[in-house]
Amino acid sequence: MRKILSLGLAAALLTTTLAGCGGGSGTAETTAAPAATTAAAETKAAAPAETKAPEASGGAVEITWWAFPTFAQDSADTPAGTYEAEIIAAFEAKNPDVKVKLETIDFTSGPEKITAAIEAGTVCDVLFDAPGRIISYAQNGKLVNLNDMFTDEYVKDVGNDALLNSCKSDDGSYYMYPISTAAFCMAVSKQALEDAGAMDCINMEGDRVWTTEKFEEMLGKLSAAGYNGATVYCSGQGGDQGIRAFVTNIYDSQVTNDEVTEYTLNDEGGIKALTKIKEWVDAGYMLNGSAYNGGEDVDQFVAGNTAFTTLWSPGLASQRADTLAENGIEAIALPFPSEDGVPEMEYLVNGFCIFDNGDAARAEVSKKFIDFICNDEEWGPKNVVRTSVFPVRQSMGDLYPGEAEMQFYASLTKYYSPYYNTIKGFAEMRTYWFPMLQAVLNGDSTPEDAVNDFVTKANQSIVNAQ
Amino acid sequence: MKQSKFNKIRMRETLVSYAFLAPALFFFCTFVLVPMIMGVVTSFFRYNMKGMTFIGFDNYVNMFKDQVWQKSLVNTVILVLGSVPITVMFALFVAALTYEKNPITRSFFRCVFFLPVVTGTVAVTVVWKWIYDPLNGILNWLLKSMNIIQKNIMWTGDKKFALWAILIILITTSVGQPIILYIASLGNVPKDYVEAAAVDGANDLQIFWKIKWPSLLPTTLYIVVITTINSFQCFSLIQLLTSGGPNYRTTTIMYYLYENAFKRFEYGYANAMGVVLALMIGLISFIQFKALGSDVEY
Amino acid sequence: MKKKTSILDMISMALLLVLSFIFIFPFYWILTGAFKSQKVTVKLPPEWFPLNPTLENFRKLMQNPALQWLWNSVFICAVTMLIVCVVSSMAGYVLAKKRFYGQATLFSIFVFAMALPKQVILVPLMKLVSFMGIHDTSWAIILPLCGWPFGVFLMKQFSENIPTELLEAAKIDGSGEILTFSNIVMPIVKPGFGALAIFTFINTWNDYFMQLVMLNSRSKLTISLGVATLQQEFSTNYGVIMAGAAMAAVPIVAVFLMFQNYFTQGITMGAVKG
Repeated sequence: MRKILSLGLAAALLTTTLAGCGGGSGTAETTAAPAATTAAAETKAAAPAETKAPEASGGAVEITWWAFPTFAQDSADTPAGTYEAEIIAAFEAKNPDVKVKLETIDFTSGPEKITAAIEAGTVCDVLFDAPGRIISYAQNGKLVNLNDMFTDEYVKDVGNDALLNSCKSDDGSYYMYPISTAAFCMAVSKQALEDAGAMDCINMEGDRVWTTEKFEEMLGKLSAAGYNGATVYCSGQGGDQGIRAFVTNIYDSQVTNDEVTEYTLNDEGGIKALTKIKEWVDAGYMLNGSAYNGGEDVDQFVAGNTAFTTLWSPGLASQRADTLAENGIEAIALPFPSEDGVPEMEYLVNGFCIFDNGDAARAEVSKKFIDFICNDEEWGPKNVVRTSVFPVRQSMGDLYPGEAEMQFYASLTKYYSPYYNTIKGFAEMRTYWFPMLQAVLNGDSTPEDAVNDFVTKANQSIVNAQ
Repeated sequence: MKQSKFNKIRMRETLVSYAFLAPALFFFCTFVLVPMIMGVVTSFFRYNMKGMTFIGFDNYVNMFKDQVWQKSLVNTVILVLGSVPITVMFALFVAALTYEKNPITRSFFRCVFFLPVVTGTVAVTVVWKWIYDPLNGILNWLLKSMNIIQKNIMWTGDKKFALWAILIILITTSVGQPIILYIASLGNVPKDYVEAAAVDGANDLQIFWKIKWPSLLPTTLYIVVITTINSFQCFSLIQLLTSGGPNYRTTTIMYYLYENAFKRFEYGYANAMGVVLALMIGLISFIQFKALGSDVEY
Repeated sequence: MKKKTSILDMISMALLLVLSFIFIFPFYWILTGAFKSQKVTVKLPPEWFPLNPTLENFRKLMQNPALQWLWNSVFICAVTMLIVCVVSSMAGYVLAKKRFYGQATLFSIFVFAMALPKQVILVPLMKLVSFMGIHDTSWAIILPLCGWPFGVFLMKQFSENIPTELLEAAKIDGSGEILTFSNIVMPIVKPGFGALAIFTFINTWNDYFMQLVMLNSRSKLTISLGVATLQQEFSTNYGVIMAGAAMAAVPIVAVFLMFQNYFTQGITMGAVKG
C-alpha cells in the first residue's frame, strides 16, 4: 500500500517537473536551478530544428560536410581540414546563400561516429568516403538517391562499369558520386633491398609484376641482412584491404567469387597463402602484426623499422613523403606478388554521398556542392590531384605528366579485381577478418579452420544484411 | 486507527520530502530509469538501422550460443578474478605498510598510487601503448637489455600476454581508491584492542587476523564490490589498446556490446547483452554481500 | 608497542618503493615524452630525459582545438559537479532526516541503481538524448551523469550528522523548510560538498565511454576523447600524443594534489563508516 502510494507520488512529481513547473510553491526556489538548465538544454535542442524553416523560404542554407583525411594538405604539418576549408571558401564565394560547415573525422573512430550520428539524427549532409561504408548506408535507406547526377555525359566519360557499379546499391540506383580512384599496392624500401642485395628479386620493368617465389627470396635476403619484414597487421580493421589483397594474391585466391555473391577465400590458394604467411612469421621473415593496424604498419615502414609494407597507395606515398625523406628512405611501389605473376588489385574509389536528413533544400545544395568539388573547371582537377590518385573522368586526362611513379600507379588499373566492398554485410565481414588473421598468426587454429570459419561467418553476414 | 492520526503530519512531511527529492528523481527517472526500461524492451527486438522487429528471446538465445560472446565472458571473468584479489592484496599491503607512517610519507604514497586514477584512463592507456609497443616501446628494450627475453614480444598482440598486459593497466588504475579506504579504516581500528592483544603475547600475524581483519571486512566488501563492477566494465583499455584482439583474446563483454552496437549496428542484440551484464553484476554483488557480509554489521 | 626493523620490513619497504616507481613512471613518461621529437620517441635505448626538448608537439597539438577540448572538459565537469551537489544535497537531506512514505523503497532503488553499470544503458540513453535533441552537445554528458545516484547516497551519509534537535528547534522558531535547508542544513553538510564536488569532477573527467558515444564534432570533444582521437590520427607519433595526454592529465593531477584531503574524505565517506 505504502509502496504504491510512494510510487504514485514519485510519478506525479516527475510529471510536474517534466512539465516544467517546479512543483509546489515551497519548492519553486530550490528546483529553479535544474529546471533552468533543462530549459537551456531544450532551447539548444530546438535550435537546429528551427533553422530548417528559413532555408525553405530561400534564406541561407547551411549544410555540413564530414571528411575523412583523403585530401592531402599542403604539408604534413598543415592541420586536417585546411584544404577542405579552401574548397568551401571557393564554393561559398560562388554561392553566397550557402554555408558549408566542415567536420574532419579519422578512419579509426570516424565510422563509429557516423553510425552514432545516424542513430542520433545528427549526421552530416555530405560525406566524403568510399563505397564500402557508403553503400551499406544506402542499403539501410539512409542516403539520398543521386541518379540525377549521373548524366549520360558523365557515365560515358567515366566509361568503367566496374567502377560505376561500385557506386550503386542493390536497388540499381547510384548513391555515391565518385571523384577519383587508384589501386592499393605495396612498397619496399630501396635502401634496405640494396643493402640486403635483394634488388634483383623485384622487377622494375613495365608494370613491375613479380612472383611469390621472388618475393620469398627477397624475404630470405632481408632477414639474413637483419631487416624486419612488414608486419602482418591485424589489430583492427584499419587498412585491412591491403593485407587482404596480399593474402589473396600470393597464391591466386579471391576474397569473393566473380559475381560478388559469396566469399571464396577458403579455396586452395587462400589456405595455402595463410599457411605460408604463418610460416614466414614463424621464420621471422615477417612480423606478427596482432598489435598493429594498417596505419601503424605504414608508420613502421616510413620510420625504417620494417623493410616493406603491404599497405601503399599514391595517396599514402604523398602523405608520407616528408617522413620518408627525413629518414632517408626511398619507397618503391610494387604490385602484390602472385604465383602466376598477374596481380589482382583491390582499389579505392573516393566519392561523396548525401545523407537523407529529410530536407530537400539541403539535399539540393549538397548536390550542388558535390558537383562543384568534382566538376568545377578549376577545382575539379585540383581536387583530384589532392586525393593523389587518378580522376574517374577520362576527360581530365593525365594530371601527373612526367611523374614516373604515378605512371606506374596508373598502369595498375588494368589489374582491377571484382569490387566486393559493396557486398551486403561488408562492414560485418570486416569485423571477422582481423580475428581470423590473429587466430592464424597466434596458432589458435590451423589456417584451414580459421579461413573456413571466416568464410562461414562472412557468408552469414550477407544473409544477415538482407 | 492510528493511521489517521499521524497521517496528517506524515503526509505533510511526505509532500515536503518529495518536493526536495523532485530534481533528483527527475534526473534519475529520465536518465537512468527510462533508458533502463528502453534497454530491456528493445532487447526483445531485432533492432538495427532498418527498424525493429519483435523476436522474443532470440537475442538472448543467440547470445548464449555466440562463441565470441562466450569468449568475452571468459575474458571478463578472468579480468575480474585476476584484478579483484590482486587489488585487495596490493591495497592491503600498501595500506598496512604506510598507515602508521608519518602523515607526509603516508600522503606521499597515497598520491603515488592514486596518480594513475587522476591521470585519467585515456592518458594512462596511450602511454602504456607506447611502453608496450613491440618495436619502439621501452618494455621490450628493457627486458632485452637485461637478457630476460631474446625476441621482441607483441605484448598486446600475443595471445599469451595480451590479457595480462591489460590486467596490469587495469590494476594500476584501480588500486588507488582501495588504498585510501584501507588506510582510513586501518586508522579506525581501536588501538587498545591491538595493544591488549600484544600484551597477551599475540604476534603480528595473529593481531592482523584476529583483530584488524574483522574490522576491515566492511571496507573489504566495499572494495571487492567496486573492483568487481569496475573490472566488469573494462572498456576503454580494450578499445584503445587491442580492439579486442588477438582473436578475441581481450574482448570483454562491454567491448563486444560496443562492437555490436556501433560496428555491426545490432542495437537490440547489444541491449540484450547490457541486460545480461547488469543481471550478472547485480547477482555477483548480491552474492558478495551475502558471503562476505554474513559476519559484517554493515 | 616497539616496532623492530626486521628484514621482512626492509624487503616490504623495498618492494613498496619499486611499486611506487612503476606507478609514477607512466606519468613521468607522459611528461617527458611530450617534449621529445618524433625521432627521439622511437629511439632505443630511450632518452630517459629529453636532451633536446622541443615544443614541436605542442605546436602540432594546438593545430587541433585542444584548448577548446580542455574547456569542454572543464565546463562539463563543473556544471555536472554543480548540479549534482545541489540536487544530491537536497535529496540526501530528506532521505536522512525526514520520515515519509516510500522512503525505504526509494532509498533501496537508489542503492540498487548505483550497482548498475551505467554503460549497459548507454545505447538507449544515446537514443533518448538524441530524441531530446542534445546529442553531440555537452548536455548529453552532463544531464545523464546528474541522474547517477551516488551523490544522493554520499550526501545522505553526510546529512546523518545533522543534529535532529537543531532541525526541531528551527521548526519551533517557525522557520520554513527552505530556510531550514539553506541556513541549517547547508552549513553542516558543507564538507560533504567538497568531497562530492571533487569526486564528481574526477569521475566525469574520466568517463570516456559516455563521451565517446555522445560526442561527434571535433570542436565538441572533451580532452580525453581528443587525446584518443589524436592517438588514432597520429598512431605512432608518440610525442604529439603525449603532449595531449599531458594536457589532459596535468590539470586534474594539480587539482588532486591541491585538494587531496577532500578526495580522501570523499572516497572514505562513501564507504567507511565514520
